[in-house]
Amino acid sequence: MSKKGIRPKSPRNLLFVFEILALLLLFVYEGDKIDRLTLGTGIGLVIIIYLSNYILTKISYGDNYIFLIVTMLISIGIVMIYRIDSSLGIKQLIWLSIGIFLFFLTYFILKYIRGWKNFIYLYIIASYILFFITFVFGSRKGGAINWVSFGGIAFQPAEITKLLVIFILASYYSDTSRWKELKYGPYYLMGIIYSFILLLFLQRDLGTALVFYGIFIMIQFIYEEDRKLVLYNIGLFAIGGILGYTLFDHVKIRFQAWLNPWKYIERQGYQITQSLFAIAEGGFFGRGLGLGYPDFIPVVYTDFIFSAICEEMGVFTGIGIIMLFMILVYRGFKIAISQESLFYKILALGISILFGIQSFIILGGVLKMIPLTGLTLPFVSYGGSSILSSFIALGVLQICSEEIKIKEEFDEQRD
Amino acid sequence: MYNILAILFKYIFIIIIYLFIFSIIRLIYLDIRSMEGISSDNRVYLKLINRKESLPYKIKEYYSIDKNITLGRNNQNNIVVKDPFISKKHFQIIEDEGEYYLEDLNSANGTHLNGDKIFDAMQLEDGDIIRAGQIEFLFVNR
Repeated sequence: MSKKGIRPKSPRNLLFVFEILALLLLFVYEGDKIDRLTLGTGIGLVIIIYLSNYILTKISYGDNYIFLIVTMLISIGIVMIYRIDSSLGIKQLIWLSIGIFLFFLTYFILKYIRGWKNFIYLYIIASYILFFITFVFGSRKGGAINWVSFGGIAFQPAEITKLLVIFILASYYSDTSRWKELKYGPYYLMGIIYSFILLLFLQRDLGTALVFYGIFIMIQFIYEEDRKLVLYNIGLFAIGGILGYTLFDHVKIRFQAWLNPWKYIERQGYQITQSLFAIAEGGFFGRGLGLGYPDFIPVVYTDFIFSAICEEMGVFTGIGIIMLFMILVYRGFKIAISQESLFYKILALGISILFGIQSFIILGGVLKMIPLTGLTLPFVSYGGSSILSSFIALGVLQICSEEIKIKEEFDEQRD
Repeated sequence: MYNILAILFKYIFIIIIYLFIFSIIRLIYLDIRSMEGISSDNRVYLKLINRKESLPYKIKEYYSIDKNITLGRNNQNNIVVKDPFISKKHFQIIEDEGEYYLEDLNSANGTHLNGDKIFDAMQLEDGDIIRAGQIEFLFVNR
């Protein structure tokens, strides 16, 4: 097939060069102080990323670009995180290795086990259990109860619930006739999703609530035959937004800090103003790695990683990151369009929307385009559960990009 | 020393990131072009006559012919068609001194040219209709 001639060799090599240069810079930066562990993990990163990209082109007949784009994003992220805090950088590397492993694991599990669309009740129950765990064992970090720690490892259950919501929506809309027979069938789904959003509101995890809502309304908008439900949904969102603004103080604070952060520069507006200072300080080409002051920005290695990247690597790199996300989402939509099976189509669509909305919300937040809500920038920010869930989502997207062929092989075996 | 290097490297990093984005966009562009059909400079190609939506497997609207192409159910063929009535290696089109010839590769159900089953290599003219299994192609040579 003509695809053979356009194997993505060249971007893979560019990525390799980027990482080698970053490693070289690190060498000079650390001088003689460099320890074995750092060097080992650095070289490990380069090898892991290059090899996994290479292996993927061999085992998967689907899309080769999404993994490449993601590894570029994660390389930029790791360079920045390591520069801010070297111990976090090494931790991030470990998360990345587990993430890539989970990516391949998800890929193979979904490839060889069928019938994921029949487990809708399991997904719903699992989501409620995760919410329950968060409420009982959760601790408060940065205003939201969304962290659960088990034996020293903290994770955010909402990151997994995000994927479960996409699975719930996909299994619901790929089999609507089953639900239409029930009285008020379509309303059950709305009820379940709204209960999730309400629970997230109670945990004060506004960013994730917004992501859930975005995924829900977009998939509903595309697949719901009963158009008045879409209108109800938009209406409820407006009412919910107004109610949230008047009832919850933390919503109001964020909104005011967005409208005029300079007035509240000491407290509520501190994060956003520091972020803007950092971006402005960097200019088009940045200050150079290691020469800026990203430590001035609060939570710089998760939510505000983008500002730190803009400060040290320039607004051009920032634009580059936004472009990479745009290509990633575009690829996701293309995968969804060419996919034949409805369930996998909706899955691919949901995951693309997830990446798109999540990066839009946090990038818009740090640039003061929209009110700031705490979310991680997928693949770039530091964070174990965020990296792992993003890689699982990517694994699902990868399988969606080649499902047709699996189905054909299956048919062939039958004759 | 480090500062100079850091300043130098920031430009290099930006250039690499943009080259990376550019090369991916170029690959995507090529991918879309091969998906949508053929480029205008290709003069010899096969056009699918069946409605693409009516076929339950992956098939393209256009296949350009460079030199020799084979069609069949097997993944090694240039054109892979997962039709149950198509053999693993069904037919091939060979170019010889500017002329194109159609040859059946001992397929189970045979290859038809303009409605007649072929047994030997047949010369292809512009507008010929090739049928294999359920699918029909129009041969275009301008």
